[in-house]
Amino acid sequence: MRRAVLTYLALGIGAILILAPYLMSVQTSVKTPRQFAQQPPLAPPRPPTGANYAELVVGGHTLIPPLVVTVQVVVVVVIGQLTCSVLAAYAFARLDFPGRDAIFWVYLATLMVPVAAVLVPRFVLLSETGLSNTFWGIVLPSMFGSPYAIFLLRQFFRAVPQELLDAARIDGAGHPGVLRHVILPLSRPILATLLIITAVTHWNDFLWPLVITSGARWQVLTVAVAGLQSQYQGNWTLVMAATTLATMPLLVLFVLFQKHIVRSITITGMK
Amino acid sequence: MRRLFLILAALLLAAGCSIAGGDAKGRTTVTFRLWDEQVAKAYQQSFAAFEKAHPDIGVQVQVVPWADYWTKLPADVAAGTAADIFWTNTSNFGLYADNGQLLPVEFTGDWTTSVVDLYTRNGKLWGVPQLWDSIALYYNKDLVPDPPTLTWDPAAPDDALRATLRKLTVDSAGRHPGQSGFDPQKTRVYGFNAAFDLQAILWDFVGSNGGTWQSGDTFDFADRPKTVQAVQYVVDLINAEHVAPPAADTNTNGDKALQLFTQGRMALFQSGPYHLKSIQEAAGFQWGVAPLPNGPAGRVGVVHGVAAVASAKTRHRDATVEVLKWIGSADGQRPIAEGGYAFPGVTTAQPVFVDYWKKQGVDLQPFLDSAGGTTFPAPLGPRVGAGQTAYTPILQQVFLGRLGVAEGLRKAQDAGNEAMKG
Repeated sequence: MRRAVLTYLALGIGAILILAPYLMSVQTSVKTPRQFAQQPPLAPPRPPTGANYAELVVGGHTLIPPLVVTVQVVVVVVIGQLTCSVLAAYAFARLDFPGRDAIFWVYLATLMVPVAAVLVPRFVLLSETGLSNTFWGIVLPSMFGSPYAIFLLRQFFRAVPQELLDAARIDGAGHPGVLRHVILPLSRPILATLLIITAVTHWNDFLWPLVITSGARWQVLTVAVAGLQSQYQGNWTLVMAATTLATMPLLVLFVLFQKHIVRSITITGMK
Repeated sequence: MRRLFLILAALLLAAGCSIAGGDAKGRTTVTFRLWDEQVAKAYQQSFAAFEKAHPDIGVQVQVVPWADYWTKLPADVAAGTAADIFWTNTSNFGLYADNGQLLPVEFTGDWTTSVVDLYTRNGKLWGVPQLWDSIALYYNKDLVPDPPTLTWDPAAPDDALRATLRKLTVDSAGRHPGQSGFDPQKTRVYGFNAAFDLQAILWDFVGSNGGTWQSGDTFDFADRPKTVQAVQYVVDLINAEHVAPPAADTNTNGDKALQLFTQGRMALFQSGPYHLKSIQEAAGFQWGVAPLPNGPAGRVGVVHGVAAVASAKTRHRDATVEVLKWIGSADGQRPIAEGGYAFPGVTTAQPVFVDYWKKQGVDLQPFLDSAGGTTFPAPLGPRVGAGQTAYTPILQQVFLGRLGVAEGLRKAQDAGNEAMKG
């Protein structure tokens, strides 16, 4: 009994610590700039206002175009990454060709190179080919798989029992058939995990879209939200409403894939 | 599998032709980049008028967030993808001017002299003045009924400024600093916004004590006793007098002092016209603007200006110069003045801005006086931005009281000059 109380107490404190920042941003988002400036941050909004949200949806600071761009970026990157990573991981895990392991380890080593280090070379490369400030400029560098995804899938594919694959081969399946009828159905949880990780990473990606695009046309959500703040003008109520809106789709994604996420944590051991 | 490919192809197609069309009218498009999304709206109005008069030129306004402006600009300039015209401040334009990345301005206009001086380097003007700000003293009329005219003198321990600030600062029990039992942890109202704010606080005190910050393109603040004395004075207002919020609150949060002022928890707030709109929007009390405190070397304030510069790599030079001429004209800057955003760089557009605030019941004369009097130069030089980045953490330590003023300034100067050598 006492143990249960302590457990709940610890969990409760943890939950408060994690949720408080979000709750605070939500409550700030329903304040007017005047309320925000005059009262302490924890004072409840009285009366709450929807003006910030209205401004972001139908007003002068509409986030709809950046939202559409972001959704397109995420969809293209997720589909591209999943397709390419599955194919590459299958080759690394199940095909025999000379230099396989060497190529894999070199590719994996790129995980260790921080994004900031390749930012400028990548930017120069893409702008030389005329892709700066285009949709393809945003998605191309990340739509052909990532070392992390390939590593994760390779390890998973290697754990599939060889007997299953052999049985499929005896029944006349080629590599595409094996991949499609044996490996993929068995890999649903890991694919769901990857989908979520990739979607969240690219939904939140800020630095690359900021650098490669200029102007309103290809602005993604993160860049548009950052643009609400200026040197001397914090616009905090508007920014809080914008971040609340920007997190919403991720919450929906979480609810939809909740089971998979929990399972994926046990698979990958990641938090 | 085939269905998946079809969906994929459809999505790629849709992505390729996303919302919002390009400029299909066959016009030359000149891009213009700035960091302030509010002023961007004024520019858009201005360019609408310009496009009517020049049907063959379109201007595209890009807003890059201030926080990332100076990260993105070098990459764009290096790759040749910078906007045709972009905003810059004094700390950052020198490098581009010296490296031949900018077009010199070869026409003249009716511009504020001090801003023209800031952007003149090696005998040439590199930017068209857009906005400028000077520093004055905002005051809360509930706490300070009459416009304060204050003097300060670091040599006199009971100068008028310190005496006034002690009176204005109150803790939760109604006690003032200097009285027994005053608890700086429980300050209800602060007297002043002394903080590590170079433009609005530190340089103004340094100038008004007769000190300097820079000589030529090197920092010399640690070598000037007057400068050291002025910095000591400001740091003491925080850590010894307790009439200003602790540096731990203000060092990294530039909005803290503004919030305290709009909450009615700060009596005097020394700042520039860039805060007029925020205060107007937020303050629930009567407020006014007064002259800066008068120091041993008089009233000295920083005048800083933002200019629009043209990229030397622009692909349509003539159109770019046309746009530059427009935003250097009174008609081109009128929307900025009319919206009450900032003092316009064109002198003849200034009365429009002053009138806007007169209608709101605010007299901007102290800002004009501050700009017209003795001014303190804003930071200059090709690598002064790098120098400032190097000394900022050291000066923050000084304000926290973890480093002595003389020692800290020496370290900061060495680090800053080292970084400026590049």
